[in-house]
Amino acid sequence: MTNENLDNQLDNSGEPTPEYFMETLPGQDRYVAPLDETPLQDVDSVDESAPAASMWADAWRTLRRNPLFIISGIVILFIIIVAIAPGLFTKQDPNSCDLANSLSPASNGHPFGYDMQGCDVYTRVVYGTRTSLSVGVLSTLLVVFVGTLIGAVAGFFGGWVDAVLSRITDIFFALPMLLGAIVVLQMFKTSKSIWKVVLVLALFGWVGVCRIARSAVLEAKNLEFNTASTALGSTPTRNLFRHILPNSLAPIIVIGTTSLASYIVAEATLSFLGVGLPTTTVSWGGDISSAQVNLQTDPLVLFYPSAALAITVLAFIMMGDAVKDALDPKSRTA
Amino acid sequence: MGKYLLRRILQMIPVVLGTTFLVYALVFLLPGDPVKAMFGDKPINEAVAAQIRAEYHLDQPFIVQYFIYLKNALTLDFGNTFAGQPVIDEITRAFPVTIKLGLMAFCFEAIFGVIFGIISGLKKGKWYDTVILIVSLLLISVPTFVTGFVMQYLLGIQWSILPVTAGADPTFLDLLMPAMVLGSVSMAYIIRLTRSEISSNIAEDYVRTARAKGMSNGQVMLRHVLRNSLIPVVTYLGQDIGALMGGAMITEQIFNIHGIGFLTYQSILKGEANLVVSIVTLLMLIFVVCNLIVDMLYAALDPRIRYA
Amino acid sequence: MTDNSTIDSQAQMLAMQKAHGPLLEVKDLAVDFTTDTGKPVHAVRSSSFTVYPGQWVAIVGESGSGKSTSAMAVLGLLPGTGHVVGGSIKLDGQEIANAKQKEFDKLRGTKMGLVPQDPMSNLNPVWRIGSQVKEALKANNMDVNHEKRSALAKALAGEDAAVKLKGNDDETFLGSKELPALMDEAKKALTAAGVTGDAFDKAVARFESEWVPGSETRWRVADDLIKAGVKDDDAWYLAKKYVIGSSMDDRIAGLLSEAGLPDAATRARQFPHEFSGGMRQRALIAIGLACRPDLLIADEPTSALDVTVQKRILDHLHYLTDSLGTAVLFITHDLGLAAERAQHIVVMYKGQVVESGPSLEVLQHPQHPYTKRLVAAAPSLASQRIISAKERGEDADALLDHKIADENELEKSEHIITVEHLTKEFKLPRKKEMFKAVDDVSFSVKRGTTLAIVGESGSGKSTVANMVLHLLEPTSGKVFYEGRDTSTFKAKDLLGFRRHVQPVFQNPYGSLDPMYSIFRSIEEPLRIHKIGDQKWRTNRVKELLDMVEMPQSVMGRYPNELSGGQRQRIAIARAMALDPDVIVCDEAVSALDVLVQDQVLHLLNDLQAEKGLSYLFITHDLAVVRQIADEVVVMQHGKLVEHATTDEVFDHPKMQYTQDLLDAIPGGKLKLGLD
Repeated sequence: MTNENLDNQLDNSGEPTPEYFMETLPGQDRYVAPLDETPLQDVDSVDESAPAASMWADAWRTLRRNPLFIISGIVILFIIIVAIAPGLFTKQDPNSCDLANSLSPASNGHPFGYDMQGCDVYTRVVYGTRTSLSVGVLSTLLVVFVGTLIGAVAGFFGGWVDAVLSRITDIFFALPMLLGAIVVLQMFKTSKSIWKVVLVLALFGWVGVCRIARSAVLEAKNLEFNTASTALGSTPTRNLFRHILPNSLAPIIVIGTTSLASYIVAEATLSFLGVGLPTTTVSWGGDISSAQVNLQTDPLVLFYPSAALAITVLAFIMMGDAVKDALDPKSRTA
Repeated sequence: MGKYLLRRILQMIPVVLGTTFLVYALVFLLPGDPVKAMFGDKPINEAVAAQIRAEYHLDQPFIVQYFIYLKNALTLDFGNTFAGQPVIDEITRAFPVTIKLGLMAFCFEAIFGVIFGIISGLKKGKWYDTVILIVSLLLISVPTFVTGFVMQYLLGIQWSILPVTAGADPTFLDLLMPAMVLGSVSMAYIIRLTRSEISSNIAEDYVRTARAKGMSNGQVMLRHVLRNSLIPVVTYLGQDIGALMGGAMITEQIFNIHGIGFLTYQSILKGEANLVVSIVTLLMLIFVVCNLIVDMLYAALDPRIRYA
Repeated sequence: MTDNSTIDSQAQMLAMQKAHGPLLEVKDLAVDFTTDTGKPVHAVRSSSFTVYPGQWVAIVGESGSGKSTSAMAVLGLLPGTGHVVGGSIKLDGQEIANAKQKEFDKLRGTKMGLVPQDPMSNLNPVWRIGSQVKEALKANNMDVNHEKRSALAKALAGEDAAVKLKGNDDETFLGSKELPALMDEAKKALTAAGVTGDAFDKAVARFESEWVPGSETRWRVADDLIKAGVKDDDAWYLAKKYVIGSSMDDRIAGLLSEAGLPDAATRARQFPHEFSGGMRQRALIAIGLACRPDLLIADEPTSALDVTVQKRILDHLHYLTDSLGTAVLFITHDLGLAAERAQHIVVMYKGQVVESGPSLEVLQHPQHPYTKRLVAAAPSLASQRIISAKERGEDADALLDHKIADENELEKSEHIITVEHLTKEFKLPRKKEMFKAVDDVSFSVKRGTTLAIVGESGSGKSTVANMVLHLLEPTSGKVFYEGRDTSTFKAKDLLGFRRHVQPVFQNPYGSLDPMYSIFRSIEEPLRIHKIGDQKWRTNRVKELLDMVEMPQSVMGRYPNELSGGQRQRIAIARAMALDPDVIVCDEAVSALDVLVQDQVLHLLNDLQAEKGLSYLFITHDLAVVRQIADEVVVMQHGKLVEHATTDEVFDHPKMQYTQDLLDAIPGGKLKLGLD
């Protein structure tokens, strides 16, 4: 017997007590509030005073009030400026090094001192910003594009398309990104370039975005406004581009922001291992790697690029948290 | 349950095949000649090179090589290294160390992650919640190798509490610092996950119903908030075992631990294709099996999931 | 079992209540919530109400009126930033307005119980039902061998022998271990007492149904035996020998079966997801009453359930609380339901009590304008179809005639939509046989009229709607629009069909794309069908907004800024954009507050009169049907069970199921004194 049937067969003992006019008990006398105290309003009237706000405007309003967003926003803005115009912050060339200055302490005009090769650490930290940021941004863009495309196709078409794509996703998911990246980059070790690092990171990174995009599209696909649209005469493809994709963007943006941080870390790790960027490119990871040797004697040479890296990553992770709070009020972290 | 397990294992097969194929293709199809790598800086002797190629089936079409590899792998014969050592020996030598390290890291992140996450989640807004949150954010932001250096410098060099590097046959104490470094990022994620799960569970209707029954706050927290918050945390922990094996590559490098990560990195550098493919296959098997265990655990923890 | 709902006991109850004084006294209660910006929001202001022992008091109000907030303040379970900022709450004379949570822990369960609103989210999915009942017993150190009767029940028992409560000693539960032996002995005792034949069988059948372990008490067993003909002494001897207390599991099963859950011992071992909504609600009632609270707070306990289930559960709750002497604070949005169930009604509006008094008096002589408005709008109390056409000086019949005359000219059929032998089967996961969601349903919608399809959840009514809308392919059977078989439509025909047949869906939060402004939402159908240029479309949208009585300024707004009723009006405007002939309303007013629902129904009715629209109106609520439909189709389990004009269905229902549905309309039998 099904549950529903049981519901219908459950006992029906006891009729509701019949009503009797009884004398009222103390405290239960007839009471009618004076009308001027609770003026009657129109049924369901529109509040025209509040400013109109789309979901994005709403999210922006929430963001603006979030200190996490303000702090990380300022830091990221600063990082972007440094990346675009490092010349504003230092007049020196990061590659003009003098072995005579090797491991010299900080001096006037060289606040962070010199590394083993005798390069100015401050200048190298400033110039390293562009490398990290461009790898992060480019990888993220590529990953978000590829991941969304594959995820949306899988989620929207379903059936065997979804089955095939999901299995491919599983395969890439089972392969740790760093391991895969090292294997591939090792093959290119004679011809390193920033593009190869970006491509390899994207090759092993798209799975995360793809899974999120797929479930977001699946969820948006089942929302009632799509049925409503179809009943109005809209076609499935039109629904996909006009309704489903715009409504799936929020989680993709969130994972994009957090991914940016993880790609910056990944690039630094690869450069640290010596398989990432060419040694001619100034990068924090590479500098940390070369400062490693002198950890015991000169920890500060290692400290500065590490700190720059950590601050950048922290800023993007905080930004990711703030964006997540704004776009998905259900999962507030604070 | 048995049927479910069987179906899941069958589903694993294409993933395992696909991944090994992918790795095999990456290692063998991309530019770079393993034979050439073998000679290192020495001039290449073509005759010897051809002999080696034949021996390792390198003169066969790629797909044939893959199937030969698969066939041998089924009998645990993963081939030899260029130095003539059986790959399986290399792996069995390095593996115990990494398992020890991984287990320690796992315990570290599970215990401290959950404890701090619970403290933070139950006492939201208190000063120690803020401290825990900031520390976990920092741990996530600072790359593992930097965390490693900082700890090496502070605990090892400045204060001399723990050994700086581990070496060939590490003891528990040798591995303590590496394990903490390896587990630190995951611990931070577990703290955040536990905290957000607890705060979203506290707002659930059934928690209010439990309070309305007259249950004490402690009981409500234990039976309704923590019990339910644990489900995603356990899932995360399970999936993290695979990730720990990958992360070991960096940690073992920094602390000079001769485990599987160290071996992998060295063999990638040397172009030891057989070794690389075998290790990656192994790691991936661990990952897939862990996922299966997680799914089983998930079904045990959440009665809504049925084995079907 | 005892039934003390006689006039005598009513009078006696009243005396008792007077002597005891109020159980719950709320005076000038004020509750504030703090917003993100730190500004307080006054959720409840200067509200007072009183509950006496054993009484049902209803708080009635629309969503956001502060009715639930008031109840939660009493329980000390205000959500989030809510806190009591003024007034007093006295439970049995004890001030609890600002009590600590530890003090509340002692009161909750034994003094106050809660039956919450949504049965789906109020049971923890990871624990068995039984263990969730057990928690309540354990938290309050309930002795599962003995029952704690409420103060009122005890008082009543002390004064009158007719109420057969005999003090604590006798309230020992029957255990499942002793039941077989007791049953054997009882049969022997019956034979010894000379009871045979039919009388014997009847008595045994009664024992079998009444003697539920963990629920049946010693004195009731004795009473049953005596009533069956066993001598007093023998009966008490048996009762004392075999009714010696129950185990925890027995008690849990007993509580669940008291709440009306059959096969309770097995059910207690199941998880919430294995229960239907009605069964979960019964489990929640068992939990709420587990520790025999003096006051039960029932927060819209049945609003998520089908009407017939709702009625059965409330009847049962009424029976239970009456026999236990539990007072109930009943929170509802339905005035009819409140008046039917409670002796005393408290009407709340915008956080304040605007009117209170004896329920029939409030209902028949509402004095505050808000109450008047509520009474006028309550669908369950309305007795006839809204007659907006007449108000315009047009007779509905004349309108119909007029339409039909038109058709004759155009040689169109009288029926705009005809459905023939419609069947839809679904494949159930992991089951071989197909599930018939819709089984051989035929009906037709007359031009310019409203046909309502009524049924409970799972009746297949929405599936029919989706097939009529051509959103779902029927397994067999046909849908005709203007006499043309819709299954033969090519893409172009289909587009034309979509232009003429428009939907309005149930969920006003889901059917509008949150990323689209109101203007874009209403404009969308015009764009899809490539009608007019930008300027023309803008004007058309303005026109449509006027039509649904929305200010034109909402064009730039987004759905999340509008209320449910406003969104539904936007959805109607969107459906009207293409000047359709037929609108399919799938539970279009079900999610709305009574007043808003009334407003939308009037709007729909006006539009029909003005444009000669035909409606296919899908609903679970027969009360609404009376207000809007000309003809009714009743569906149950995918089959059409009754099809007739609205008046016929209401006045002379042919099928028992229809009768059940009618009986379940809350307050349907109450008489109103509206001027």
